[in-house]
Amino acid sequence: MQQQEIHRFLERFFVSNECEILEKTADSLKVQLTIELDKLLMNRPFYWHYLEKTGAEPNPMTLTLYTGQGQPADSSGEFIHFGSPRLHQIFSSTKKLASFIRMYESVPHSGINIALNPWLCINVKISYQCDRKKDMIHSYGIHLINGIIEENFHEKLQTIRLSKRIPDYCYTLSPLIKPVSGLKRLENMIIEKIHEDDHSWAEDARMRWAEDEELLNRFYEDIEEKPEYYYGEKEALQTQYEPKITVSIINGGLFYLANSQKG
Amino acid sequence: MNIDINFQRDWHDQFLKRIDDDGPWANWELYNLALEAERHLSIPEFLGLQAPKHLPQLTFLPHQLEVAKTVIEKMNGKAILADEVGLGKTIEAGLIIKEYMIRGLAQKVLILVPASLVLQWTTELNQKFFIPAVAQKKSYVWEQCDIVVSSIDTAKRQPHRDIVLNQDYDIIVIDEAHKLKNKATKNYEFVQHLKKKFCLLLTATPVQNKVDEIFNLVSLLKPGHLGNQENFDKDFRNDKYSLKNEEKLKDLVNKVMIRNRREETGLNWPKRYVQSIPITLSESERLLYDKITELKKLPYLNRSKFSVITLQREVCSSREAAFLTIKNMLEKSEGNAFPDQILVSIMKLIENVTQNSKAQKALELIQSIDDKVIIFTEYRATQLFLQWFLQQHGISSVPFRGGFKRSKKDYMTHLFKNHAQVLIATEAGGEGINLQFCQHIINYDLPWNPMRIEQRIGRIHRIGQQGDVHIYNFATKDTIEEHILNLLYNKINLFESVIGELDEILTKFELRNIENYISDILINSESEGEIRVKMDNLASLINYEGGIKQKGWEEHAAARDSSFS
Repeated sequence: MQQQEIHRFLERFFVSNECEILEKTADSLKVQLTIELDKLLMNRPFYWHYLEKTGAEPNPMTLTLYTGQGQPADSSGEFIHFGSPRLHQIFSSTKKLASFIRMYESVPHSGINIALNPWLCINVKISYQCDRKKDMIHSYGIHLINGIIEENFHEKLQTIRLSKRIPDYCYTLSPLIKPVSGLKRLENMIIEKIHEDDHSWAEDARMRWAEDEELLNRFYEDIEEKPEYYYGEKEALQTQYEPKITVSIINGGLFYLANSQKG
Repeated sequence: MNIDINFQRDWHDQFLKRIDDDGPWANWELYNLALEAERHLSIPEFLGLQAPKHLPQLTFLPHQLEVAKTVIEKMNGKAILADEVGLGKTIEAGLIIKEYMIRGLAQKVLILVPASLVLQWTTELNQKFFIPAVAQKKSYVWEQCDIVVSSIDTAKRQPHRDIVLNQDYDIIVIDEAHKLKNKATKNYEFVQHLKKKFCLLLTATPVQNKVDEIFNLVSLLKPGHLGNQENFDKDFRNDKYSLKNEEKLKDLVNKVMIRNRREETGLNWPKRYVQSIPITLSESERLLYDKITELKKLPYLNRSKFSVITLQREVCSSREAAFLTIKNMLEKSEGNAFPDQILVSIMKLIENVTQNSKAQKALELIQSIDDKVIIFTEYRATQLFLQWFLQQHGISSVPFRGGFKRSKKDYMTHLFKNHAQVLIATEAGGEGINLQFCQHIINYDLPWNPMRIEQRIGRIHRIGQQGDVHIYNFATKDTIEEHILNLLYNKINLFESVIGELDEILTKFELRNIENYISDILINSESEGEIRVKMDNLASLINYEGGIKQKGWEEHAAARDSSFS
């Protein structure tokens, strides 16, 4: 992640959280936190607890962040880069704040009533893990009436104007497939796709595992009663090498879109 | 292929609840940002390093990145890191820990280091790597903190031991791991019982050449890699000290050990300029030295001959150093090597010494250098005297001793860096003291163990040194110092040899106690001539057997320069 990208990300993050940007240059940002973001980012539970008890006027902090080299020596601002704990805190706060969504296509008003089709979208992370690791991110949407599943759904959403509220003269079609079943169908499809994938990585890991276990067994082959740490070591080899796949949902939600072909 | 798939469903319930409750729903921009953030954090490939882009403020050297890659991709996270001193083993370990953490393959990490380095490791991991390491102080830390730095001595003692052995660690790092070479020790047994997925053993001392040590260390890391004791002995052991099938063993060891040498790193190391500074004793100093030398001829035990050598060395350093020893001898009254009247007469001669020729020379040198200088001496008394002496001439200095606490060492380093011209040290100060902002070292007196000289120079001749390094070796003419300097400097080329080579040579030929060889020669020789012949023999033994390269330091540097351009 480049420094300008980070700068852009931070600005979008604070603006969409309704923080006022007090000062802004190409590589710095001074923001007035809202009460909610202060609680989320500034780690001062005692202050907020005290305010609740006394009912005093809340005074959320301002935050100054630098993404370039131009940080003045006397400033109390923080330098933000891809590894900085603050950025990772903001990343995980973003995820926390935006796990679930419901949006409507904002169809231009043409005088006739328009039906909006229900879609369920999930953005998932699939991790292949042994003693190494690799992640893949996919976005799927399922049409909750006809059951069609679309890949790269999130990318497609980018081409559509969306709004939080249902536009005038629009109405939503009721889903025939319940969200919980939709999720189940998506899950089955994802698992099927995983099974079709190339898993030589797992075979290789099992081979490495077998090699190490073989060595370990040789080490203790002449010992009748194996010591406790032989079993400990064996277990550790399993946690180290055993191939595992994890699927987790980053975020997702309901999207009501005008044309079912479009989704 | 049958692989366990874990589909996490905790999202489902919350989502369904929000449908029922009609919200709350996220805003579109944040929703997009959350996915973008996750894209940035996801690991695109099994191979390669993610950590460097998380640490843009650190510049890694090519060999450090290579080590991290090799350990993770070829050694499956179990390795002995045996780079020569100064190449950044701590950085390599930090990089590997960080990489595993970023990939989500490590959460619980235990770092066992010498007690004096606990704080330094903790600070470095936090500040350089943003790894939230905690120094173990209270016993709840083991369970509540994910990344703990502790000394092995604390960890292995109750009540800690049971708690520590109960944790499932993802990574175990052990600094100064060569101390675990003996499997009969409590430390070894303790480490053997630790549960670990990944493991890094850090050592600057190469172990290739000791049969048992190598077997024990590798077996701790990866039991069975070298077979069990029985088939190891059959395959590789010749006798107690020597090996057979050395090439095969080396290949095996190299699968779990990485050792970078300075000259292989391709870095442009600063040059070393070594200069001998001969010093002529003043008349009164000469008289004192000769009188002490004569004591050797007295018909006493060997023990007293050793005392003579000690006194000779001290006189070469300062009269204060010798004075202290003689005063102690007088106070001890009984069991002394020499009768009191002889000691008293020497005391008189000490009082008659009016100047310190070496200190005079040091003063001139420091004034002409007009920059930071480190003076190393073997004696506390000399250290104190020098501090006083330099102060008399308006030169500020700070003392430095091995016994200082870590915080005091850091403070003295800070004072030296910012406020004083001279640092007067009685020893190299141990691992982790970096004085690379200084370019001049005066070896006021020379230790007899070549490794200690190497450590001295290593404090400033390291990564981060911007200029060339100047080393001034003081030696008083026609004294034992001259013999030592001749041996170390002229005969075995110590100062020009490549760092690390000497260590291996001395280990290989059991010459670690080279000090004993030297004092043996000095004690048991009848004449100056005999000393010279025996010293020559020792030198040629080291040179012949060990083969210290006769190439000079500058030549090494030049070779590197040209390969760079």
